[in-house]
Amino acid sequence: MKVKLHVWRQKDKSTPGHLVDYDVDGIEPDMSFLEMLDILNESLILKGEDPVAFEYDCREGICGCCSLTVNGIPHGHQKGTTICQLFMRKFSDGEDITIEPFRAKSFPVIRDLIVDRSAFDRIIQAGGFITVGTGMAQDANSILIPKKIADLAMDAAQCIGCGACVAACPNSSAMLFLSAKSSQLNLLPQGKPEKLKRARAMIAQMEKEGFGSCSNHYECEAVCPKEISVQFIAKFNRDYLAASIKEGA
Amino acid sequence: MFKYLNHLVISKFVMAFSGAYLLLFITGHLIGNLQLFMGREPFNAYANFLQSIGEVLWAERIVLIIAAILHIITSIYLKLHNYKLRGEKYAVRKYVKAGLNSRTMIWTGLMILAFVIFHLLHFTFGVIDSKNYNYQELYTKNAYAISFAGDIEQANQQSMSMEALNPEPIVYERHDVYKMVIMDFRNPWVSLFYMIAVALLGVHISHSLQSAFQTLGISGPRFTRFIRPASIVYGFFIGGGFLIIPLSVLLGLIGGNI
Repeated sequence: MKVKLHVWRQKDKSTPGHLVDYDVDGIEPDMSFLEMLDILNESLILKGEDPVAFEYDCREGICGCCSLTVNGIPHGHQKGTTICQLFMRKFSDGEDITIEPFRAKSFPVIRDLIVDRSAFDRIIQAGGFITVGTGMAQDANSILIPKKIADLAMDAAQCIGCGACVAACPNSSAMLFLSAKSSQLNLLPQGKPEKLKRARAMIAQMEKEGFGSCSNHYECEAVCPKEISVQFIAKFNRDYLAASIKEGA
Repeated sequence: MFKYLNHLVISKFVMAFSGAYLLLFITGHLIGNLQLFMGREPFNAYANFLQSIGEVLWAERIVLIIAAILHIITSIYLKLHNYKLRGEKYAVRKYVKAGLNSRTMIWTGLMILAFVIFHLLHFTFGVIDSKNYNYQELYTKNAYAISFAGDIEQANQQSMSMEALNPEPIVYERHDVYKMVIMDFRNPWVSLFYMIAVALLGVHISHSLQSAFQTLGISGPRFTRFIRPASIVYGFFIGGGFLIIPLSVLLGLIGGNI
């Protein structure tokens, strides 16, 4: 297989970037998208050029490190997969592929296709935790949780924090991330003590980090590699409304 | 007063609540307007009834004006705020789920605002085309008597322009809203303008109904499956409902007797 790539190259945060064209040959259809980039990088190194910088870790679709926007869609056109799990057989021979970083003001480009997503960590620090008693571990099953609630909390907990929701949102809003991370705790008894504080603290941090507001385009849900539902955003809004009423705006 | 704008989710609640009120008003306005198809007497009686409940009408108008102002200011603020926070523009951008209706809310909204200003000057204040605005239904003693006898359609035949002199003493008069609407919509340019504006209103509403519920946290697997298509149907209902009025006048389906 052969593809024609248009790759975003940017030296560092302060230098403006631009798209550079590369022809990549000798690709096996069963290679992953990142392996295809490895092939490109090997050829660039052999030519004495700078390889394309991109972020990855597990290459199994569970770590949330890869962050490429391929042909205008974060994580590419295949629904419910990270870009590392998208295989070259899903592209046609000779196809034009544009690769850009996740774009949002709160995700500044560090180099080429790598963006700084530490804003997400700071949002988690603001409210994505629970109080845990020290001492002996309590009996398993001493806190009863209905299956339906446990399943819903697990759905929310699937979020790998990759940031595709922000990259896809026309407003660069982090509401899907925020709602998943708060719902996985708010739904369970262990998360109840901080429930009211959590929604407000996380939103305040999100505003501080410079993410936009939600306009219900649902583009986040469409590109989320874990297919997290926007119903968690509605739930988050409910929690926030309740917190504002109980604790004052 | 506008301190809430610093809080993104509260701003969204303001958008949803004010939008919901505007949507209720629009629905009532459409149902009222559709009485045009029932003929001159019921329509003018309805218009007259609205004018007669002065205080209630003004209370409703004040809430409406506040809702509209909040809706407009908040939306423009959020749009500018979000625009600033976008990163560099994508060279290639493909939308998977976001429809044209959700992505053009601010533009359809601003065009609807421009239309509402025109519409108020046109039909409420009568600044534009005041000749048609000033039509009055004049009831002479006889016509009044006939109308009381039960034959209302007969009574209305006496209607005419303000400038016209009526030889019989006038005992009762009221604003001839029906004639004003018919005469104005016979102008194809006015009708075309209204039809485009209400079509945009329909597009705006097709996103807003379900969006308001989502923002206010009213959501669930079954409800979402229902409300998203229902929102599009509602947009068609409102846009189409308003659109058939100028269209029917242009085609001569209503107002033929004027």
